[in-house]
Amino acid sequence: MMGDFKIQCLLNKSAGLFKCLLCMMLLLSGMQVYSQTQTLTVISNEKGAPTELKLDELKSIFKGEKQRWRDGNKITIAMMKTNTPVGAYTCKKIYDMNGDEVKKFWLALVFQGKADGPQFFSSITELESFVVDNPGAIGIIDPSQSSANTHVVLVDGKKTL
Amino acid sequence: MNIIQYYMYRMMRVPKTCCCLIIILLLCNSFAIAQNTTIKGFADLSVLYDKKLSFGFGEQDLFITSQLNDRFSFLGETVVKYDPSAETEFGVSIERLIVKYNYYGNHNILLGKVHTPLNYWNDTYHHGRVFYPTIDRPLIFKKEIIPLHTTGIDFQGQNLGDIRFGYDLMVGNGLGSPPVSDNDKYKSITTAVHIKPIDNMRIGASYYHDIVSKGAEVEGKTINWKVKQQLFTGSFAYFGKKFEVLAESTLALNKTDTTGVRQTFAPYIYAGYKITPKIIPYVRFDDVHYQEGEILFTKDNTTAFVLGLRYQVNYLAVLKLEYQHTDAELEGKQDMVTFQIAIGF
Repeated sequence: MMGDFKIQCLLNKSAGLFKCLLCMMLLLSGMQVYSQTQTLTVISNEKGAPTELKLDELKSIFKGEKQRWRDGNKITIAMMKTNTPVGAYTCKKIYDMNGDEVKKFWLALVFQGKADGPQFFSSITELESFVVDNPGAIGIIDPSQSSANTHVVLVDGKKTL
Repeated sequence: MNIIQYYMYRMMRVPKTCCCLIIILLLCNSFAIAQNTTIKGFADLSVLYDKKLSFGFGEQDLFITSQLNDRFSFLGETVVKYDPSAETEFGVSIERLIVKYNYYGNHNILLGKVHTPLNYWNDTYHHGRVFYPTIDRPLIFKKEIIPLHTTGIDFQGQNLGDIRFGYDLMVGNGLGSPPVSDNDKYKSITTAVHIKPIDNMRIGASYYHDIVSKGAEVEGKTINWKVKQQLFTGSFAYFGKKFEVLAESTLALNKTDTTGVRQTFAPYIYAGYKITPKIIPYVRFDDVHYQEGEILFTKDNTTAFVLGLRYQVNYLAVLKLEYQHTDAELEGKQDMVTFQIAIGF
């Protein structure tokens, strides 16, 4: 009888441990799923950017390869800081670099006198305000945190990257 | 003058240079709010072993950019560096002073003192050692084959078309001129073109023409003949995720009525491999070969081999450790080990 009780306790503990492990695995995979489904939206000022861009064109713009839009407005790039989740994902998606590499890339380009660096922001709200207030500005944000007033640029026909 | 008086005299003289820099910084800071002005600094410190151990430091580089309005921008680079001829043993030098006007699309006009857009290295790496793939510049610069700076006007285009074509057409004061005026009627002409067929790759070529007047001072040397100089340069650069390659060659043709044309050939090749994004071992081989009877340059056939390791702490700090073997006609063979910390701030 004591033996049966001990076995029952062991089984209960094992079940508890198994449930705990299962919860942890679900939690971790949930986090992974979140970062894999992180989406980005490109917003712009009403003046400057076209309504649609190809992904290659967007990358070229964010690498400082274009100085002006077709309408003559100067291109100003707005990004979330590279140590924010949106900023870090932008670095990966657009530059195929980590945050430190993106900062080095821009510092070198500015130091060569070849381009003006992007404006970096800590909050989506600040980034949106900057884009709305500055003709020629283009930025990348998390669409779930954006306000309804921003002008979205389609990339390869889609609202999100 | 006794030793105390000597040091007091030295201390009184040092602040003049520092005061100028402080005033510049304060002025820039006060205007920074009104326009988009960025101030950055770069410096490097080193430990060198060459038959004896030495601690030293390189240039302290003050770098300022400012967007003046929608089309005009400014770039200034001022350096404080060791100068044994200066009273304080340090001299201030304006290395770049550029006003840029973006007149259409990716086309610009630059006016001022620039790094002569003759090759990839001079166009890409200026005075911040944190960006250099190696500790120091290639031999071609130490031997003063390439004119590092030119004051003049530069018509520039960048990233044009699918192959990202770029060009520079520069007219400047030329060799023998001080930075703020021309010493003669002759102008230097620089033409450079490049393409970027794939990301991180650049292939370029350039041509430089200048006439050095008789009696001109070039790099501390008085030139006693009129010299017509032509420089031809080809470049290949690739800095990818794993491999880094930079190969450049310059052919210099210096002509006088007495000697005719004398050739100098100066190639170098650099290769690095990123074991990790932060750890990059590298090598570089330099060669400078002069023809007998060279007039403008100091004839000193030299080859150098560099073996190094670069550690990228982050985008503002780099550590480099190098062994260099040099074999020079005038100074003989030399072996050197150098450790450098290069920073930006």
